[in-house]
Amino acid sequence: MMGASRTAVFLPVMKYILMLGGLGLGLLLCFKPSLAARKPWWWRTLAIAAVVATTVLALWPPIGGSIADVVFEGRVNPIKQVPCYVVPDVASATTTDDGRTVMQTADARTPALRVTLTMHAPVAAAIRDAGAVPMIILMRRAESDLQFTADAVMAIDPPITLPYITALEERARIIFFHVPMSWIATIAYLLSMIFGIRYLRSRDMAHDDAVVATASVGTLFAVLATTTGSVWAKFNWGSFWNWDPRQTSIVLLLLIYAAFFLLRSAIDEPQRRARLSSVYAIVAFASVPFLMFVLPRMLTSLHPGGKGDAGGIGPLLSPQSDAINPTKQVLFALSLFAFTMVYGWLVNLRIRTLALQRHADHQPS
Amino acid sequence: MDFLTQQPLYVVLVTALMIWAGIAWYISRVDRRLAELEQRIKR
Repeated sequence: MMGASRTAVFLPVMKYILMLGGLGLGLLLCFKPSLAARKPWWWRTLAIAAVVATTVLALWPPIGGSIADVVFEGRVNPIKQVPCYVVPDVASATTTDDGRTVMQTADARTPALRVTLTMHAPVAAAIRDAGAVPMIILMRRAESDLQFTADAVMAIDPPITLPYITALEERARIIFFHVPMSWIATIAYLLSMIFGIRYLRSRDMAHDDAVVATASVGTLFAVLATTTGSVWAKFNWGSFWNWDPRQTSIVLLLLIYAAFFLLRSAIDEPQRRARLSSVYAIVAFASVPFLMFVLPRMLTSLHPGGKGDAGGIGPLLSPQSDAINPTKQVLFALSLFAFTMVYGWLVNLRIRTLALQRHADHQPS
Repeated sequence: MDFLTQQPLYVVLVTALMIWAGIAWYISRVDRRLAELEQRIKR
């Protein structure tokens, strides 16, 4: 009992440590050695390696659910097939009168959970060939919560598996791209506000460059988050755009920051432009917590975490241990780190370009 | 071809990696050119 309660506390704590660790390390490296100086070779290599690792680990491992997932789906839809991560007990195999094979099978992540699996000869042959190793089998719930039908062997002894998320299934992989982009856009606007305050205090044009760079790359990330979200919405909810509260709030946010860039383009005098855009960056950020965190949680939403959502604040932030899978959490932390590094690199390039532009403007023609 | 039609996720993976390779090449090129300009100004 003590062990179970410790796990119930440890897993959510680890989840938040991993998320904050990925994001924090990425942000720390954005400012080290310097936000405005050229990044060293190891930094650039690390950024590229992190993005490649995130892409491969988000798209390559097979999805393997638990027996509980098959039960849950089977109770709603009896013909629903779910890829399940199990260890078949090949030695227990028997053959029924109608030629089908019956085998005891354990959940690979919870070995104490054993159920009966019935299958036709080709599936039984594939399992026997593989032996008693962990594998992903396409399963359906049969007569009860302890009896299942195996339809196909999907993967044998995979080194990594991703969890099965009900209603998302294979589409869940986009979490590792869409969510970090959205989070980093929010952080970008926060950084823009901070550099706006620093500019107003110091009147140093380098801080104005940082205001523009952080906001412009942040807007790029917000556009990418909207685009990836639209693609996801098409395949999950049936249309690219649903005027969901979270979709509406990001459009409002993009309009607010579009006005920021319009304001800058309308003023020629550099000091005045820098002063006004710093004030605007500070005022604009006041809307960000409301649009990104408050409004979407006040209204009924297709996104997780909306008003009346039984899943609480959503599978990524919920401290409930059933929403936690170590592989998913490590991969999510890696994706946060990778996209923060990409953000930092793009901001670095933008700041250096603006500094060169300013230098060129001061040169006699 | 059978492999690609039966495993569409690998097509997505290869496409995503190709896009990232293009982005990485472009960013590295911009980074190098900026560094050259910065060096020229320093001199």
